[in-house]
Amino acid sequence: MNRSVRLAAFLLMSLAACGGSADAQQQVIGAPPESSNMRLVGYNDLQARSAYQPTIHHQGDRWIAYIGHHGGTDDIPDPVNPQTGKAEPNGTSIVDVTDPRQPKYLRHIPGQEGKYESGGAQMVRICDGKALPKGDPGAVYMLRTFGSEAHEIWNVADPANPVLVTRIGGLKDTHKSWWECDTGIAFLVSGAPDWRTRRMTQVYDLSDPAHPVKIRDFGLPGQEPGSSGAVPTELHGPISTGPQGNRVYFGYGTDKGGLLQIVDRDKLINGPKEPTPENLRFPEISRLPMSAFNGAHTTFPMPKMPIAEFAHDKDGQVRDIVMIVDEAIHNECGEPRQMVWFADVTVENRPMMISSYTVPEASGAFCQRGGRFGSHSANESMAPVFYRKMAFIAFFNAGVRALDIRDPYHPTEVGYFIPSITAATDRRCVPVEGKQRCKVAIQTNNVETDERGYIYIVDRANTGLHILELTGAARAVAGLP
Amino acid sequence: MRKWLLAALAISVCTLCAAAYQHARSGNAGWREIAWPFPRDGWPAGRAFHCDAGACGGEVELYVRPKIGFCNCDSGVADDDEVDRVADLDLISERFVALDVGQPIRIGEMAGRSRNYGLQMPDGSRHAAAGFALSRRCDLMVAAAQGNGTASAVERAASDFLASGDMTRWMASALDGS
Repeated sequence: MNRSVRLAAFLLMSLAACGGSADAQQQVIGAPPESSNMRLVGYNDLQARSAYQPTIHHQGDRWIAYIGHHGGTDDIPDPVNPQTGKAEPNGTSIVDVTDPRQPKYLRHIPGQEGKYESGGAQMVRICDGKALPKGDPGAVYMLRTFGSEAHEIWNVADPANPVLVTRIGGLKDTHKSWWECDTGIAFLVSGAPDWRTRRMTQVYDLSDPAHPVKIRDFGLPGQEPGSSGAVPTELHGPISTGPQGNRVYFGYGTDKGGLLQIVDRDKLINGPKEPTPENLRFPEISRLPMSAFNGAHTTFPMPKMPIAEFAHDKDGQVRDIVMIVDEAIHNECGEPRQMVWFADVTVENRPMMISSYTVPEASGAFCQRGGRFGSHSANESMAPVFYRKMAFIAFFNAGVRALDIRDPYHPTEVGYFIPSITAATDRRCVPVEGKQRCKVAIQTNNVETDERGYIYIVDRANTGLHILELTGAARAVAGLP
Repeated sequence: MRKWLLAALAISVCTLCAAAYQHARSGNAGWREIAWPFPRDGWPAGRAFHCDAGACGGEVELYVRPKIGFCNCDSGVADDDEVDRVADLDLISERFVALDVGQPIRIGEMAGRSRNYGLQMPDGSRHAAAGFALSRRCDLMVAAAQGNGTASAVERAASDFLASGDMTRWMASALDGS
């Protein structure tokens, strides 16, 4: 063999090896899930609908999962509901997860017609009527978005037969709202038609869900009607600590120009309401601007965390922490890495980022797998089983990641689960030289936990709901038997 | 021989005229590319151009770049508020005021809106400006132009240049991920 033939053979073998390596990272139907310290308990396909917010509610002696959906896909805009035999726009799935090994699909409530983020009913929150100050004690209320045009409240006391209670409509967008069950105060992410931003906050008193009372509109100065100049980044979602904590943590941005805004809840609700720049600034305590490279999808407060490392310090042994989760929006790493940040907000007017977490890309060649890679959301349950101990992060094609956050200055991954794809898993494409190149990969979109310690993850690419539990060292971190 | 020379001269003149006409008609006349003048932000840098006063009726600068995945895939550029939000006017100055309602605009495969603005610069001076937001499926192409003429003159010069063959080809290619 002469030298040039040997060189050609070497190059061909190298090329084949590279191709083989890339192919090896592609998920294939029938392959087992990838996991560490997490185990699959149960599964439901959610009628192959693209899923967003899950909320798990202990309802009498049952456990019910309420799952919001994005709109349908180009290929299947309105999937068929096998229970009705009809094509229905994606809306809300209601699943009995009392036995997590055998989840039972109870009902699909259709959402707004429209594909991807233009339709569906993405967001769900649940409050018992007996918890709300003026609710019907026999009712269980589900607050959901109706696509981009409305918020709705349903009575889901009989989760298989929900009844519409009320509707707040006339909006140009909606997103991830927050509802305090003990007061009924709701921070609704809305697009008021006259505001300059797509998403801002409408504060409502929903203590009597049948009779919503609007308290005020809220946003960043420059977003209000009649303003001019640069328009600040739009809202993604707030989380309130209620009257006791008296703080609302607002996350602005998605994958760019993020902002954590810390707001005095009492001043927000009871302060001057006319949306002038002065009145919008009035309840604000401080802001933590993020890099232009990152946005704030979830701003999850964890006040009064004792930090073991600081236990013998004379001051600052206990810290107020906010976990900020960015949202990746581009397929195949087409943007700066979206990840998880921890901010120490103990000194509220000087909040500071203290640590970060990302999945190591090389651990799964995630930029080559297809679809989005990066964080999207975290569990938002504050039930004691995981609160201030563990956080679960939906990381798109890297599945769900379990973090030990007991020392938020040094968050550590202790487990993960990447579900298998199925025939229903939708493709994700990127433009390459004018053509679409598509791959199929899991797209773990959102995650929630229940008080029993189960972890629920849902897939944006139509793969369904996976119910998980911790094993091994991760189980020990949570103190589970 | 003289006839041949005259014929050749006539052909040359016609060719030059046609080329000049094509150049002017394509909107490229007087424009030259300059360095992107802004610090890094959430989006990768785009391309920047300068047009001389003689060609554009006043000095005009134009900044244009794609914003991939930044548009509602169904509704496109829905209203003037979206032009205010996305068109990069804030790169030039955070303080801008719309002078009138925007106009629908179509360039190549892209549709969207343009709007005229008055800018208050950090040094207190005032500039005229125009913002452009054009969508193709879920992606945006945005442009901001500023100049020392009227806003409508800045808008006209910038839109003619954006509609030129070179620019429409580049914008399509940029949205294709090339």
